[in-house]
Amino acid sequence: MVGQQGINYAVCLMSTHFGDVVAVCECLIRHGSLSFLEVVRFTELPQGQVKNSLLVLIQHNCVQAFSVPKTVGMGGITKPVTLYMILFDNIIHRMRFSKFCLIVKEHLGHQCAEFLEGFLQHGRLTFELLFDRASGLTEGKATRNDVLAKFNELVHAQYVERCPKGEPFLEPKSDEEVSSIRKRIKSSGDTRTIEQEAIIAAAPLDADRFSGIISLTLNTEEVMKDVNNTLETSAGSKRKHEVLEADEDMQNAINTTEVLWRVNYEKFVRCLKKKACVANVRSRLGLDAAIVLEAMIDANDHQNIAMNSVTLSMNSIIEGVRGKPGGISLTLERVRAILNQLGSELCPEESGALYTIGLKGIIENCQNDEVESLVLNKYGKEAYRIFRMLILADRLIAMDQISDNTFLEKKEAQKILCKLWKDDYVEMEKVNLNAGVRAEVFLWKVNKKFLWEHVLNDIFHTALNISKKISQVTEECQVSKSDEEKDKRLKRARRILESTLLKMDDAIMLFHDF
Amino acid sequence: MSGTSMLPQKRKVPLPENEKKLYDLIWSKESLGIWTADMKRETGLTNTAVTKALKSLQAKNFIKDVVNIHNKGKKFYMAVEFEPSKEISGGSWYANGSLDLEFIRVLREQCRKHVASLKSATIEDVCQSIKDSGIFKMECTMQQIKEIMGAMVLDKEIQELTSSGDGEFSHIPAGRKCYRRSRAGAGSTQGYLTSVPCGVCLRIDDCSPDGIISPRTCVYYNKWLGLDF
Ligand code: SF4
Repeated sequence: MVGQQGINYAVCLMSTHFGDVVAVCECLIRHGSLSFLEVVRFTELPQGQVKNSLLVLIQHNCVQAFSVPKTVGMGGITKPVTLYMILFDNIIHRMRFSKFCLIVKEHLGHQCAEFLEGFLQHGRLTFELLFDRASGLTEGKATRNDVLAKFNELVHAQYVERCPKGEPFLEPKSDEEVSSIRKRIKSSGDTRTIEQEAIIAAAPLDADRFSGIISLTLNTEEVMKDVNNTLETSAGSKRKHEVLEADEDMQNAINTTEVLWRVNYEKFVRCLKKKACVANVRSRLGLDAAIVLEAMIDANDHQNIAMNSVTLSMNSIIEGVRGKPGGISLTLERVRAILNQLGSELCPEESGALYTIGLKGIIENCQNDEVESLVLNKYGKEAYRIFRMLILADRLIAMDQISDNTFLEKKEAQKILCKLWKDDYVEMEKVNLNAGVRAEVFLWKVNKKFLWEHVLNDIFHTALNISKKISQVTEECQVSKSDEEKDKRLKRARRILESTLLKMDDAIMLFHDF
Repeated sequence: MSGTSMLPQKRKVPLPENEKKLYDLIWSKESLGIWTADMKRETGLTNTAVTKALKSLQAKNFIKDVVNIHNKGKKFYMAVEFEPSKEISGGSWYANGSLDLEFIRVLREQCRKHVASLKSATIEDVCQSIKDSGIFKMECTMQQIKEIMGAMVLDKEIQELTSSGDGEFSHIPAGRKCYRRSRAGAGSTQGYLTSVPCGVCLRIDDCSPDGIISPRTCVYYNKWLGLDF
């Protein structure tokens, strides 16, 4: 769950990108999934505006519709009602478009990156619309087959995917209805929230998701098949929505029969996660270790959605390593030593031993680095040593042991710990060893979950502050044109702010997405 | 010599009643010593009686006062035959109740030097090579080296690894813990938040886009961005 500053940042992003739409967006972020009428009631906006806002949000993959059964009237008849859920992560992804384009440009070249940009700008596109856009960009020179080939490259590499269903219907479990289903949202624990269930129900089958378009003629047939399918299912379930006119327009727009495509954010998160892991290993264990890790991640990419660990046989590792620049000189012995340093686990299989490396541990390392550097900067070297000891120990530790291990006088260690405790970096527990006199002992620990949330909130807050400053500097740039010196300084400031915002976004990914 | 004769022996000299009471109590605490307030509580003697008896016992060289590192303001006494225990003295890193900073600094310097020259080394390797260098008159224990290296790992000056037994670790048996210099250097990683004023700002909780404290008017920002003209 994101904190207050995460919400503020998302709202700021949306208002910069879409202006008015932000009211509906903010309403959904703050209240959770709502029906059309509820959004109208909460925002006090005209229905037309709410409708348009929702359509824009859906078009840009920031909202997903889904329907659930609801009992209406005295007779206890259940009817489906459409709810709209905000996709918070997809809003934050909007900050990363330049990173996504760069990834595709490096991997598949300039033209694919240009097509990707089309999807990023417009949210969802049919192949026809993509072709029209490509045609416009090349002044009519692009052929359909060329565009199709590039498009398929994007889909097969999983950078682009088929859009999920517009409005999946969630069958009730026993007599559950909206209000009780909604309660599930709040109850944490193992049970999936209704939103998570809706996402799963909306997702296309993996085979469809990344199958691309086989040929343009076939594609038309496929569309027809889809149309029939949709008609059949809607006739089969005999669902008749009781909706307002505005809502009805929306249903039509949402439940379009056209095959739509969009950017697959999951893939980009994986790419950036790989980059972060490889960079961390390079700085800790050197270039060779980075090559081995990268080869292993690349070989695992397509089968591994969450990418918490990577597994590969030695043969495949060597093959992957040899394919990397600088990898050809790595001997089997060296690779084995690196796998050992990376903390790999060996699992004997019939087809040969498999090596597994946990990426979760590497990401944790990056997160620790970030918080430790904060402690070093704010509280100094000694506090840094104490904090690292507590992070590594990951349990309650007595005051005396802390001062012993960190080579600090007890008083000094205590002073530092109190400062860290006041600012919520460490937790303290007082225990009475024996009921006797003066036997109180202070135990200390870092509560990572709590602290990490706190740090993420500060990162969001910082990103928000930078965004606000960018708007201010941009405004000032527009009026300062006559003063050359001032203009130069403002432009320089904007460049610094923009590049820092991208770095801040790396930090958001580290604590929120990976 | 028999084993028992190694232990300190209590003196069997007749003493006035109060002094005897106190001496017995102090002796019984052995190397832990005892605080004057606790003596009063346990013997039931008055303040002046205790002070007088302690003075006399000290003059006769029966007892000594010792510094307790946990509370330097409290007066602790111990029979002269005992040496303060680790709980009182703080252990091998303490001299006269204070951390022996100079010794720690020099030993740390030596560990750093030897780890660097050995490329990768176990605690035993470092210990041996310091011994061979003959820099310390008295011997450093393995435990001391281990503790110093532990602190250096916390400071990210060195890193702890497990030897693979080959390549750069060929001189260390596989599976053994060993150390080498950190690549990144001590605590050198520049964090994301520390590169922006907000990351280390004490006012962040009071700062909001439309508040009195805001990025719009923030002096730290203007300074950072070179806009303070
Ligand atoms: S904008 Fe200025 S006042 Fe606000 S948090 Fe950042 S540095 Fe602090």
